[in-house]
Amino acid sequence: MAQWSEQLLIGKQMKAFFTLVFIILSSSSYAEEQAEQLFNQLKPSLYQIKLIDIASGEKSSIGSGFQISDDGIIATNYHVISSYALHPKKYRIEYLDHQGNKGDVSLQSVDVINDLALVRRDTEQDMPYFQLSESTPKNGEQLFSLGNPHDLGMIVVPGTYNGLKKESFNDRIHFTGSINSGMSGGPVVNKQAKVVGVNVATSGNAIGFLVPHDKLINLYQAFLKSAPESIEKQMAEQLMASQNKLITTILNSPWQAKQLGENGIIPIIDVPFIRCWGDSNTDKTDALILTAVANCSLDENTYISSRFFTGTMEIEFRTMQAKDIGANKFYHLYQQQISRAGAGNRANKENVTEYQCHHDLVMPDNQAITNKSIFCTRAYKKFPDLFDVLYLSASIDQETQALVSHFTIAGVNQENALAFTRKFMEAVSWK
Amino acid sequence: MEIKSLKVDFDETKAIIIEEISRNHKLLHRHRLSQPQIHIGRDYHNDIILADPHICPNHLSIQLLDEQWKITDNQSINGSFIENIKEKKHAADQHIINDGDVITLGKSQLRILFSDHSVEPTVAFSPFESFINLMRHPMALLLSVTLFTLIAGAVFYLNTPTEVNFSQLLVPTIGMVLGFALWPAGVALVSHLNKHDARVMAQLGISFAFFNLMWFSDLLEGISTFNSASGSIIPLLVMFSSIALTFSLFWLNSYIGFHMSARRRIIVAASITMLLFGGSYLIQYSNKPEFNPRPQYDATIMMPSFLLAPSTSVDEFIKESSTLFDKTKKEALKK
Repeated sequence: MAQWSEQLLIGKQMKAFFTLVFIILSSSSYAEEQAEQLFNQLKPSLYQIKLIDIASGEKSSIGSGFQISDDGIIATNYHVISSYALHPKKYRIEYLDHQGNKGDVSLQSVDVINDLALVRRDTEQDMPYFQLSESTPKNGEQLFSLGNPHDLGMIVVPGTYNGLKKESFNDRIHFTGSINSGMSGGPVVNKQAKVVGVNVATSGNAIGFLVPHDKLINLYQAFLKSAPESIEKQMAEQLMASQNKLITTILNSPWQAKQLGENGIIPIIDVPFIRCWGDSNTDKTDALILTAVANCSLDENTYISSRFFTGTMEIEFRTMQAKDIGANKFYHLYQQQISRAGAGNRANKENVTEYQCHHDLVMPDNQAITNKSIFCTRAYKKFPDLFDVLYLSASIDQETQALVSHFTIAGVNQENALAFTRKFMEAVSWK
Repeated sequence: MEIKSLKVDFDETKAIIIEEISRNHKLLHRHRLSQPQIHIGRDYHNDIILADPHICPNHLSIQLLDEQWKITDNQSINGSFIENIKEKKHAADQHIINDGDVITLGKSQLRILFSDHSVEPTVAFSPFESFINLMRHPMALLLSVTLFTLIAGAVFYLNTPTEVNFSQLLVPTIGMVLGFALWPAGVALVSHLNKHDARVMAQLGISFAFFNLMWFSDLLEGISTFNSASGSIIPLLVMFSSIALTFSLFWLNSYIGFHMSARRRIIVAASITMLLFGGSYLIQYSNKPEFNPRPQYDATIMMPSFLLAPSTSVDEFIKESSTLFDKTKKEALKK
């Protein structure tokens, strides 16, 4: 797989990466001067956000945050405070301002899909705060990312706006600039010191990703209208709405029939946020079975906790053609290939049930293929009516060739899962 | 002369049977004596000579007096004791013998039976006997072992993902045949150690015939699993047939190797079967993680010639799959 892994900018281990930050800071003296001016101006409204484990009294994760109202509302990433959102009795959230003052903050609202959270600190008088921009930046515009990487103190990192990430279902700004662990939840501002995004992830080599500021504006305005009655319920509603939007978009997008191997017909869903990769073993002369694989997946997921991700989707097709072996041996080896399918997302006992499966021999109405199809699902424990599903189908009607179709979707409701399954089953066939 | 006349006068209906038995009451030797006085001991004057070093040279004698047999212990060093179902173990001196009494002397035991002791009814040859005789025939045995070897070789061949030549298959196949031969050989050894006839050929013949039947039942199980949807009972029935086969094998093994009552044989065979299947289930169960993030599904597929069942429609499959959502949701609500 040629996918890169995006790291969430959460600072759990304190490693010193001074060099990287200083190289960027000294790369342009003009930028440095401007950055310093901005930094001094914005410093009072910047915070380090710490999650303190109550039993041990020590911090369990750190991130950054910034104040967005005069009455103490601070914006940060959901993943910075996720442990608190799921286990409010185990943790408390603490802020640390630029003068070293500490205090507790309370969780007000979250947007789990866009990885945002609002917390509130107590204020005695009106305080300075960040202005949210009214416009989106232009491509190539210089931006400044603020945050506290690896617990080293507040820094400012200049970088460039490079538009929205094209393959992303949920908008993310592609920011060229070095953002690191611990800067999560920190603001990214333009030259006018107005917030245009929130640090969220990096894939290394100065490629960073930001949540666009309009997501924060939506969350804040919804919060001003009415605060959520419970964070868990709010998350459940957001996950439900997000999967609805995703599956509806996919079901209403064109599914193009494409040939795989010599005789397989598979659907390729024509949406930019599902990207496909291919591989085959035609270079291996001693292989007993010629295999071609097409692998498509959603390039993002939704972070619920470090042990539970959802919102993923993977689709895999595989054709196999026997070379110099009989049908019996071909099917023995073929069975080994399909016997170990697993979930597409990480999840544990606390969050999901075990899978339950159904299997049968299935022929779609077009009668173009006979499959052994397996459908498995597991339910979410905290978010009712959401499930992970897994489907695996193996053709059983050809002597020495096979077509395997497989997908997993995480965090989907019953209706959408079955609608997708039906469409998928009818789209796979022999030529 | 007197002794001679005594022998002549001896009433044959009073003949006595003395059995040397092992500690677990297995018969070692049997003596039938027609004389009114019998001497038992270690030296060579005795009528019954026992080699046990704890027995005195002239240990005890039994005499027919007034139609009754009476034991006289000749002041033996380790004594003689009587044991029967009616009484507790006690000293044997001056004891009037009943039919079936067991005398313990030294570390040996003797069982006394009168000639009118009733015996068990004759056991007719069971139909298994002819089957066993067929299977132990060298040709039949050769045939079963060859069939087993061929099947084992084919299974190795079918499951190897790379190209293999004949000699690469030969070693694991022969290893497997020898491994499976350990079971009948072991049973034969145990029955030999228990003073039974070893009957190695019969054990081998029966075992390999059954191993071949088990391959066949495996194939049937595969075909039925492949052709049925989840929740079908046919694979379960086929699995029961393989349990029944295993039970039959163990039953026949014990039939060939050991003399025991029919009830006991069933209990023994059932226990070993339970141990085998229950044990493997227990091992699986104890290796099961507390939470399995992987789905457990049946991936059995076979080549199209084994496809016998009709396929269902997508509608039907979706309908059946939709029931899983309620099931897992219920599971999720359980804390």
